[in-house]
Amino acid sequence: MAYFVRRTVNSVLLLLLTVSFVFIAGRMIGDPALNMLGPGASEVALENLRRAAGLNDPLLLQYVRYIGNLLTGDFGVSYRFGFSVLPSEDLDEIGQPVIEIVLDRLPATFLLAAVAMGIAVPSGVLMGIVAAAYPRSVADRVVTVVALAGVSIVQFWLGLMLIVFFAVQLGWLPTGGYGGWTHVILPALTLAARPIGRIAQIARSAMLDELSKPYVVTARAKGVREWRIVFLHALKNAAVPIITMIGDELSALLTGAILVEKIFAWPGVGLLIIDSLTRSDLPLIQASIAVVAALVVIVNLLVDFSYRLVNPRIKLGSRG
Amino acid sequence: MSNFSSMRRLATATAVSAAAIAAFPLLAGPTEGTLVVAVNQEPQDLAAQGAYKEINAPGLRNVLETLIAVDPVSGEFIPVLATDWERVDGSTLRFTIRDDVKFHDGTDMTSQAVADSINWVWSLENAFTIQEYAGPGEITAAAVDESTVEVRSSEPDPLLEFRMSLNGISSPTQLAEDPARHFDTPIGTGPYSFVEWKQGQYWSATHNPDWWGLDADDAYGTTEPEFSDLRFVFRSEDAARVAMVQSGEAQLAMFPSADECARAADADGYNCVTGPSTTYLYGRLDHSLHADERLADPRIREAIFAAIDIAGIVDLYGMASVPQGQLGAKGTIGFNDELDPYEYDPERAMELLDEAKEDGLDVDGLSIEIVGRDTTPRIKPIVEAIGAMLDIAGIGTDIKVQTPAEFNPRVRITGYSNEPGRQMMQVHVKQNPSGDYGLLLLSNYACPNIEDPTGPSRSSVYCDEAFDAKLFDALASFGDERGERMRELVEYVHDRHLIVPLALLDRGHLVEAGLEFTFGTDHRIQAVYLDSVE
Repeated sequence: MAYFVRRTVNSVLLLLLTVSFVFIAGRMIGDPALNMLGPGASEVALENLRRAAGLNDPLLLQYVRYIGNLLTGDFGVSYRFGFSVLPSEDLDEIGQPVIEIVLDRLPATFLLAAVAMGIAVPSGVLMGIVAAAYPRSVADRVVTVVALAGVSIVQFWLGLMLIVFFAVQLGWLPTGGYGGWTHVILPALTLAARPIGRIAQIARSAMLDELSKPYVVTARAKGVREWRIVFLHALKNAAVPIITMIGDELSALLTGAILVEKIFAWPGVGLLIIDSLTRSDLPLIQASIAVVAALVVIVNLLVDFSYRLVNPRIKLGSRG
Repeated sequence: MSNFSSMRRLATATAVSAAAIAAFPLLAGPTEGTLVVAVNQEPQDLAAQGAYKEINAPGLRNVLETLIAVDPVSGEFIPVLATDWERVDGSTLRFTIRDDVKFHDGTDMTSQAVADSINWVWSLENAFTIQEYAGPGEITAAAVDESTVEVRSSEPDPLLEFRMSLNGISSPTQLAEDPARHFDTPIGTGPYSFVEWKQGQYWSATHNPDWWGLDADDAYGTTEPEFSDLRFVFRSEDAARVAMVQSGEAQLAMFPSADECARAADADGYNCVTGPSTTYLYGRLDHSLHADERLADPRIREAIFAAIDIAGIVDLYGMASVPQGQLGAKGTIGFNDELDPYEYDPERAMELLDEAKEDGLDVDGLSIEIVGRDTTPRIKPIVEAIGAMLDIAGIGTDIKVQTPAEFNPRVRITGYSNEPGRQMMQVHVKQNPSGDYGLLLLSNYACPNIEDPTGPSRSSVYCDEAFDAKLFDALASFGDERGERMRELVEYVHDRHLIVPLALLDRGHLVEAGLEFTFGTDHRIQAVYLDSVE
């Protein structure tokens, strides 16, 4: 229990550090109002935005206000519409709360990540098992090459190649966007390439390790069927590193889907981060990154906690 | 059971993913009659003021109309919501508005509604970004009678007609009752009425059966739009937009790369349509204002310009042409036909540098900072090429590509006054859609005032009282006299080697075979200018 509490507190501190860093970084790269409105903006428009967004206040006051608002779930409003509205005190009424915008995009990101992991986990685990069950065979070599390719391939290139082949040449799938279930296939395949490779690599390694242990030799000597040894005994014991890798890859999917979302115009949080950076919409940037950081922290916490469920012999938080 | 726990979790993850896919709604693709346009960016907003620049909100002119517009073929002003207009004096225009026009919310477009809409868009207090095209005075409008609207500028404004071709006229009822929706739910008078904006995905509109243009014989375009619905799909990746047209998902894609346009010539099913724009690529070399004093030496400036192979830069950029030694496009009021492009002559550049060196100038110590903004297409190879060209002539360089956050403050006097002794050539793109040299000369060459950083010349690095005096006289003039004065000023700045015009950019669109798309230098996407061809 103490471990859970300690991990949770650490996670909250990590989140606080992340949002603080994003807050400071956003103000160190120049005048947020000028970045938002561009060099052609009039001084009146710039001053309107600074006043409405409280950017004229001392940095420390802005920071304290920001953290205080975060604690009440108030991430601020998007600069998007509000900057040019008179009188600019109305920014809170006109501007859309950024947390609403981010939460609106989360289902798309979850869906993409779920489908990508739905492809990657069974494929990667199965590939790793096959490779470990038949070491140095053709299957093992094929899995090794495919896994290496999955880890090494450039997502941008893969995404475009999939579009050219499946959408332009064959006309089977849409080039991108968000609509029917067909729209999710190409971005999910692109996103799944790397986790397939990494999960396959780690599953192969963990399974090879388990399959060489004495209890497997004993089981074989007792005449236990090979599939039972592999799937029920060895895989269970190899599950911890595989789950760790799945958690790691899921975190990477949540943060790393930015490029894939951009190529396929998938309206998730990744695309939102790019759009908000392009527009220098500081509150939206801060909220998007805070939410993604929170998701990563939660996934990592869940992975930590799941070790105990997978293998009750593991004692979490023990030292030495 | 515990033996299966890890397997069960893996299976559960798979099942959850499968359920998510199954639960996802199956939507149909675009119906027949829907024009799908792949655009390069999502609009900032869909407010009436955003209609001034197509890049702000692609397609918005299908919903929001203006009093008058620029004909994409002739470049002349044509009537839209105004049937007639006349100049009362240097600062006043009187418009006769069209009868029986209704906004999409069913309210009448009265002269008072038009005046209210104009006052909202051009309000100095609102300070919308359209102010970048504002004139010397504050623009206000008033209803004179039921069918007449008078638009006034507080200062004489020869370009008031142009400014009235920019702002969309939107429902004042919405502004009064629900101003927040003005920014994401446009209510205009156009041939299409707004349907929805799915943020991050697209915005759409549907044919307005009550559009006034269906019964007007002086309306623009075909008066009979070919498509029942419009959908502007946001695709920031060039390759993704091209793929949409190649796969038949879209009939039109904005701004393909030069390579994609070239490939379209051999492709079946789609074409690339190109045309000139009013956008120019230029290099602004710091002058004497807060800059290294060596840059005020005319020989150094001429040497730098002579060292740049402008035709080479144009080839590198693609879909562009060599400017005629000036920033504006042919046809712009004040365009000087007698000027030639700056000649590429590295030997002449070296001679000039040697001459300056003999006079004791520390030429070897020069290090020109060639800086581009990373949002400009192909900017990295362009600044690298300019750097290499200057190096060949013996001029030291420092190449940088900066983010807007780094770059933007350095453009304005409030930023560069903090960098005394700077030696920077800012390589950037700008647009001059006004068809007149006035704003272009003002913003690029008039002396900026650190005390008044709101002035339109705030991004100039040049200070010349004689030039400013002539410029302000020219800005107040009308007709042929205006053209003549502008031409003289264009020659004046050309001879002083202040800004090197690097390319006049063309714009292209990929268009599905069987469609004919007409667009002007403002490259607006209006469905009424898209026709089926046999």
